[in-house]
Parts: sequence; structure tokens; C-alpha cells
Amino acid sequence: MLDLLIRFQNMDRRWVFLGMAIAIVVPMLAPFSLPFKVDKRVQDLYDRVEALEAGDAVFISADFDPGSRPELEPFFRAHLHHLFRQDVRVVMGTLWATAPPLVKPIFKEIAEQYGKEYGKDWVFLGYLDGRELAIKKIGQSVRKAYPRDDSGNKTADLEVMVGLDAAKDFDILTSVSAGFPGTQAYVLQIQGQYDLEMASACTAVSAPDYIPYYQSGQLFGLSGGMPGSAQYEKLVFADTPLDERPRLAATAGMNVLSAGHMYIIVLIFLGNLAFFLTRGGKED
Amino acid sequence: MIKRTIPISITFVIGLIMVGEFFIPHSSYRELTGELLDWGIILSAGAFILGLINLIQVHLPTVISRGNDWGYKLVLLVSLAVTLVMGFANGKGRLETGMEQSFSYKWIFDFLYVPLSATMFALLAFYIASAGFRAFRARNAEATLLLLAAALVMFASVPIGESVPGIGEYLVVLKDWILDVPNNAARRAIFIGAALGAISTGLRVILGLERSHLGGD
Repeated sequence: MLDLLIRFQNMDRRWVFLGMAIAIVVPMLAPFSLPFKVDKRVQDLYDRVEALEAGDAVFISADFDPGSRPELEPFFRAHLHHLFRQDVRVVMGTLWATAPPLVKPIFKEIAEQYGKEYGKDWVFLGYLDGRELAIKKIGQSVRKAYPRDDSGNKTADLEVMVGLDAAKDFDILTSVSAGFPGTQAYVLQIQGQYDLEMASACTAVSAPDYIPYYQSGQLFGLSGGMPGSAQYEKLVFADTPLDERPRLAATAGMNVLSAGHMYIIVLIFLGNLAFFLTRGGKED
Repeated sequence: MIKRTIPISITFVIGLIMVGEFFIPHSSYRELTGELLDWGIILSAGAFILGLINLIQVHLPTVISRGNDWGYKLVLLVSLAVTLVMGFANGKGRLETGMEQSFSYKWIFDFLYVPLSATMFALLAFYIASAGFRAFRARNAEATLLLLAAALVMFASVPIGESVPGIGEYLVVLKDWILDVPNNAARRAIFIGAALGAISTGLRVILGLERSHLGGD
């Protein structure tokens, strides 16, 4: 028995990898659904968007890449559905060079689903380099930060930009952020200076970093990782008939996440059990 | 002397102007800082060209001399050249959803960059499982506390934790408390410490006391 426990502790890590692969693949092949509650941080984000009125304007900074796509794209899609359903104007830019090919097609696809007109109801401003400097510039003037949109039109001439220039002119600023530059840089550079109403959707690993900003009121809402995205999907599509719903990727991924987390917890538990049984917990 | 005095003077003046923006909310002052930000953004974009030259300078000689890992460096340089050429060649239509062109910048992005980038990130799940299994040991009181907190947050953050009959909702409350109270206290302490450090470093740079960015000590 002791020998078995020692061997278990020293097992080849490829067995651990195989176990993780099984934990991920099995829920995909045999999906199960468990209920989950909505966090207050996500509920606050949803409620603020619900309170927007037709014609209001939202600036989205879509700062993510393919690596963080499973966590953030579901939120991004649900947020666009939510905003277009509210009939608000949506202006989007990005500070990540790898984001435009990812976010622009999604933006266009969802805008068209709601019959929205480019330049009048929505605009994609494209990529802006300069990190914090770019954020400062957005804080001062979106029109000057992005003199032309991604299609080459003069930003100031677009109907969607009527009455909009500085970040403060937008009713809400949403940062969909996979790291730097993203939510934290926005909060540090312009949120406080211009007292912006700002929300964030971030990766799960960043969420604990941003909770202080939510607690202090600098962020009115926060969606963390795939669970946050799934909760937001749940709220946004609660009243949508099943046959009219788009594919809810984060909701579908929650069972995979559950199995993955369980697998790691069981591994840690068994590893500690074996550790104590074989060494009596004497090692320091 | 001039090599140091002029950059320090520029840093001092620009630094003061940018700090002043927080205290002088006048439109003409904002025009001035806006102009300086434009300069910064242009310089930042120019760094891409420097990066490109640097990348070639570092890797090309190794490829020519068949040095260590020259094959990988060749792949890097060829990928760089092909992506760059495709990006320019496809012009305006490079981001459209349609696949009119069989081989385009969008094709490279969708079928090479996206899967490769996603794969790299996805591998984390496997390495975290392995590292958690080997390193997370309750060797002492601190490690035990860390282990219990981590396991609880991990368990209660997913539906399977919430769904445990009888205790699921309490686990969620406990998880939220860990995130909202001890986590926040520690994060705030770190943020405030880092902010004070940044202010101090900023002041040293503006006043010319910190000169490492000029190449000195």
C-alpha cells in the first residue's frame, strides 16, 4: 500500500495530462447542465445596461486575443446583443494589434442581425497603438484618437458620433480586457480623472485584481472569466425563446469547467493524502 | 553635458505639463497635452519599425551561419515576411468575414495564429493540474491555509460547487468573502504600495534624479 502511494506521488506527469484531457473531453461528448447563480458584480453590469435608453452611447474597448477568446468572446457577444437590443449606439476600438480580425467580424455579424446601419448605429474604429498614451487620448477625444475608422471614413463625419467626442460623452465605457493594456490601465489613466461610468469583463485570473475597483465604485460591474460570461449570458438571454437563442458558448463550457476544477481538486486532495500517509506530515 | 541636460530638461518640462492636466481642466491646456500625447503615440508606433529591424538583426545572422536553432529562426523570419506582405497586399478587405481570397492575411490569422495562440493558452490547464498535484502540499500552517482557500474558491466558482446539496450556497458565500475581504485587503495594500512607488519614481525621473533611461546609472 505504502509503495503504491509513493508511486502515485511520483507518477509520470503524462498520466496527469491524460486525466485532464479526459476531464475536459467527457463533458463535451456527454454534456450535463448544472444550475448556477448570478454574481452581484455581473448583475450590476446587466442592470446598468438595462437602464440605458435608446440613442445612448457606449464605448467598447475590445482588448483580447485568441488565447483569451473562450473566456471573453461569450461576454463580448452577449454584450453586443444586449446593447443593440437596447437600441444604443456602439462605438468600438481596440488597443491590441491582434484583436481586430477577431472582434470586427463578430461586431458586424451581430449588428446586422439587429438591422443596424454602419456609421449610424455602430462603428469599428480599429487598432490604436500607444498603450496608456492611447487611453489618455481616448479620454480627451475619441475623434482625435481615431481620426478615421477602420474602413477609412472620417470619424467626426459619422452620424453615430454626433455629440460624442471625449470618453466622458459616452454613457458607459466597457473594457473587455485580457490583460495589459486593458481594464487596469483605463481605471488608472482616465476613469478617475473623468469620473467615467465603466464596466469590465476580464479573464478569471485578473478578476481578483479588479474586485477592489468594483468595491470602490470605479467599476459599476465586473464579469470575471468564463463563469462571469455564462452568468451574463443567462441574464441577457433569459427571455429569449430557446429556438431563437444564439449558441451560448460560456454556458455550454461551464460543465467542462466544473469537471476540470473537480479533477484538479481531487488530484490535490489525493496528493496530500498520499503525502501524509507516506511521510506522516513530518516534512517541513 | 548637453547629452544629459537636454533630455533631462525635456523630461522635466513635459512631465510637469502632463501632471498639470489633472489640475487645469481648461480646453486650451488640453489641446497642449493632446498634442504631446499625439507625439507619444507616433513615437510608440515608430517602435514597431525598430522592433522589426531588431528582430531581423538578431535572427538573420544565426540563420545565415546555421547557428543554434537556426531552423526556428528561419520559420520566424519567413512567417514575419509572409504576414507582413499579406497584410499590406490585402489592404482594406483584410478583416472582412468573407473568404474571397484563398490565402490572405485573414486566412493566416484564422487558420494559423488563432489555433496556435489558443493551443498555447489551453496547455496551461494541463500544466496547472500537474503543478497543483506536485506543489500544493499542506506542509505547514500557511501552506494549508493557502491550499484550503484555493481549493474552496476553485470549487465554489463553478456550478458543481454551488450545486452541492445543503452546503453549496454557504460555500459560495465563503468564496465571496475570501475574494471580497482578505483578497481585497491584500490587493489594496499592493496597489497603494505600487502607486506610491510609481509616484516616487515619476518624481525622480521628472526631477532628473533617476537617469537610468538615459543610459547612465
